[in-house]
Amino acid sequence: MSSDAPAATIDHHFDPTTSTGIPNKKILMWAFLASDCMFFGCLISTHLIYRLHPPPGTLAPRQVFSIELTSFSTFILLMSSLMMALAVNAIQKGNLKSMRWSLLTTIFFGCIFLGCQVYEFRNFVFEKHLTITNSILGSTFFTLTGTHGLHVLVGVIWLTGMLLYSFTGRLTERQAIDVESMGLYWHFVDIVWIVIFTAVYLLEYI
Amino acid sequence: MSASATPAPAQGHELEQSMFWIFVQIAMLLAVITGLELVTVYLPFMKWILVSVLVVLSTVKFMFVIFYFMHLRWDRAFCTIVFFIGLVLAAGTMWALLKLFGADASRPLPVTLAHPPAIAPGIA
Amino acid sequence: MEAIAKSDFVPKGEQAAKPLVLWRPMAKAGVLSWLTTVDHKRIGFLYGISGLFFLLVGGVEALLIRVQLAVPNNTFLTSAQYSEMFTMHGTTMIFLVVMPIGAAFFNFVMPLQIGARDVAFPRLNAFSFWTFLVGAIIVNLGWFMKAGAPDAGWVGYTPLTTRTFTPTHAIDMWVMGLQLLGVASIAAALNFIVTIINLRAPGMTMMRLPVFTWMTLFTSFLIILSFPAITIALIELMMDRLFGTNFFEVSNGGLPILWQHLFWIFGHPEVYILILPAMGIISEILPTFSRKPLFGYPIVVFSGASIGLLGFGVWSHHMFTSGLGTVATAAFALMTMAIAVPTGVKIFNWIGTLWGGHLSMRTPMMFALGFLWMFMIGGFSGVMHAAAPADLQQHGSYFIVAHFHYVLIGGSLFALLAGIQYWFPLMFGRRVSEFWGKMSFWLVFIGFNATFFPMHFLGLEGMPRRTYTYDGNMGWNLGNLISSVGAFILAAGVGVYLVTIVYTYFRGARTTRDPWDARTLEWSLQNPVPEYNFRAIPTVHARDGWWYEKRHSAEIEREAGEHAKAEDAHGGIHMPFQSIYPFLASVGILVGAIGTAVVDRADPALYPGFWGPKIAVTLAGGAIMFVSVVLWSLEGCEGYHIHLNDDGSVKGDDARGGYAAGH
Repeated sequence: MSSDAPAATIDHHFDPTTSTGIPNKKILMWAFLASDCMFFGCLISTHLIYRLHPPPGTLAPRQVFSIELTSFSTFILLMSSLMMALAVNAIQKGNLKSMRWSLLTTIFFGCIFLGCQVYEFRNFVFEKHLTITNSILGSTFFTLTGTHGLHVLVGVIWLTGMLLYSFTGRLTERQAIDVESMGLYWHFVDIVWIVIFTAVYLLEYI
Repeated sequence: MSASATPAPAQGHELEQSMFWIFVQIAMLLAVITGLELVTVYLPFMKWILVSVLVVLSTVKFMFVIFYFMHLRWDRAFCTIVFFIGLVLAAGTMWALLKLFGADASRPLPVTLAHPPAIAPGIA
Repeated sequence: MEAIAKSDFVPKGEQAAKPLVLWRPMAKAGVLSWLTTVDHKRIGFLYGISGLFFLLVGGVEALLIRVQLAVPNNTFLTSAQYSEMFTMHGTTMIFLVVMPIGAAFFNFVMPLQIGARDVAFPRLNAFSFWTFLVGAIIVNLGWFMKAGAPDAGWVGYTPLTTRTFTPTHAIDMWVMGLQLLGVASIAAALNFIVTIINLRAPGMTMMRLPVFTWMTLFTSFLIILSFPAITIALIELMMDRLFGTNFFEVSNGGLPILWQHLFWIFGHPEVYILILPAMGIISEILPTFSRKPLFGYPIVVFSGASIGLLGFGVWSHHMFTSGLGTVATAAFALMTMAIAVPTGVKIFNWIGTLWGGHLSMRTPMMFALGFLWMFMIGGFSGVMHAAAPADLQQHGSYFIVAHFHYVLIGGSLFALLAGIQYWFPLMFGRRVSEFWGKMSFWLVFIGFNATFFPMHFLGLEGMPRRTYTYDGNMGWNLGNLISSVGAFILAAGVGVYLVTIVYTYFRGARTTRDPWDARTLEWSLQNPVPEYNFRAIPTVHARDGWWYEKRHSAEIEREAGEHAKAEDAHGGIHMPFQSIYPFLASVGILVGAIGTAVVDRADPALYPGFWGPKIAVTLAGGAIMFVSVVLWSLEGCEGYHIHLNDDGSVKGDDARGGYAAGH
């Protein structure tokens, strides 16, 4: 990022102004994600621990879950991850227009995921009678997936902000790291869902 | 400047050209693996086999996302190290917690309080 | 060379669109300059002041506890007040004293030790401090409210903390306050990690880092990896209290023991978060006053790493009495004993440093030697707890109280007091009087031992902790009386210490550069340290960088000249702009936290449906925070350039600076 480097040769994996060559924001994000691993690790553990010895007389998750809906939203989140990766790729080549379309698609997929979650929650509460207070399953399930959903929501807001920002003309290839850090966050939300999908949903069907 | 100030390996640039197709292919692969996972749970095998298969498939998905979508493959090793410190600790903590709560000593007492168990008075 | 001039100077023509800046605070003095500061030294100072203030608060709480326990069947405090005292004493001393004073040193000293001009994210650093302050306010708000202060112990065990048993807001405030302190600590720790990894001066390889910087790095990693566990525990407790979930509600299948696990997954690394900075400080002071390099530097560093790593695998030794099962108990006992090894290694390294050294017994050295001895005693009783059967006897007794006070006062606090004395000349350019410094040391040392050594015996004689009084025929009278008298001697010592440094701050004798003839880079600076830290970013040639510079002055002078020229070519010394948004974001958090934790749930008859004062205040706080964060990111991380006169002062017209793109 030094001034004499022509724009075309920005190396997005190397920043000469830092001791290690890694951009500051990238280390910040990876360290934060390491921290978030512990965060979700403890939260998922909580859910699984309560699944070890379910109290008698509570609903079994299989009676509640809809694996079709969850598989669909898993697929959607994966695709949003793809679009995010393409957006980062685009801005790193200075292709602002392509980045905007990719970001917009990412936001769209993120919103679909959130919509699915809202639908799922309403369905569980009003039709399956699983609420956050009436059983330990409800408490852990809604807290876990709700916290993940909150992360998605934060991501969607961040993405939207970045998309709007790109129209001010201040977002150039030099600021690719800002998009990339946001992408790291978004992908992390995706991999957390990969774990939740397996540990919370699929395991119940075995 | 502890790390050598040489730019990232040249192959990074060549790869960047074909990045788009790499990403699309990986996304397809991830979708296929998700499909496989879905099929797996309905297969009539022993539980431990199915659980192992699921864990392996999820790990593969996980690794593909972090190494390709999140660029760890093209970044300096330090990013991978930082993240894996957190990942390994989290995994270890989860494992330990599940072991602790799965142990016999952690089994909750039966909740049939209407008829207290016939143990000697004073112990409860 | 481009790495030396870390500024991202963009020539006029090429300049990108200007960031959206509503207001650029430029004040260098006055209240506003403190609210908007991004200078790591000022932020460190703020941390230090807050920590010392809460040291007084926590100290008064401790004295009240000791007055109550001085004689049997005392009625000085009621049992409820006593519970508030020991809860808030523990919470305050850990989260509001030792951690922030540690953070003060991280902020002030670490960037200077690695030859940096600031931390990697100066505004995030300011945000960390303000959020810490908000958390401290929320935790202590209970003293001024009807609900009273939190009173469920610093560990907040469920189900005591659930709504059933503590319906008041006291616990809500404790939960919320700790949550915010966690956010602040994680944000600060992330910043330090990036700073140490990425902002080192040329030649400052990792294995040349001063040990204090290494310990900052390890502590930061411990913070980012352990705090999420308590975050989750607190979220679950808050959900139970606010929304009626069942995480810890036994009648609905909840497991209160889960709180203990999550708490100690955080809580044990937290112990090392408190002691590793202390070890770092000691590792700076002992070589300086022994006039020898640290003995076995790589071993000290790797011991620190293994302490940090093992610290995540020993949490259940706080729970031996909860019935974990034989295998788990044995495993955690073994791990706990294993962790004594790297700690012991460090002790031997410090002794090796002293061995054959040319010791100079100045005040910081006295505290450091006190640390060595007292921390060892705390370590010995710690290893005793590792043996699970013995721990069953000691658990919940005053023996435990004695143990962790030897570690936390004899360990952490002694080292922090040593550190304040050691770096005081660098921070303020004045020297603390040796007589009063040593006087405070002896008072603290004697008072501390008189207070806590008898507690070993009291504990083995069966005196339980957290109990507000005791009968006269238990055989505990003499021990408690000695302990209470000791507490007042300790308080006198701390009082003398604080009065001395406050006096020195205003009236103390001026000191020259590098008064201790020290070894690390921060001492190469004039004192008090100027805003821009280094006139020219130094090149580091050896592990004890400043020691080398002092012996190769010609070479260093030539280099410094070259670096200064290179920097000038890049526009001069790059300084980050000040910003009000970190402060405003924290204000938003304060409002939101008050809404969540303090405002009463409204009468549903008055406010049917969703809206009510609680929701309104919470959302208002959230909105303030959101707007601040948006403006924060829009203003961008720009800075300005300054140029220096020969005497190190900033050239007049540069004080407001030009424009430079940030990085």
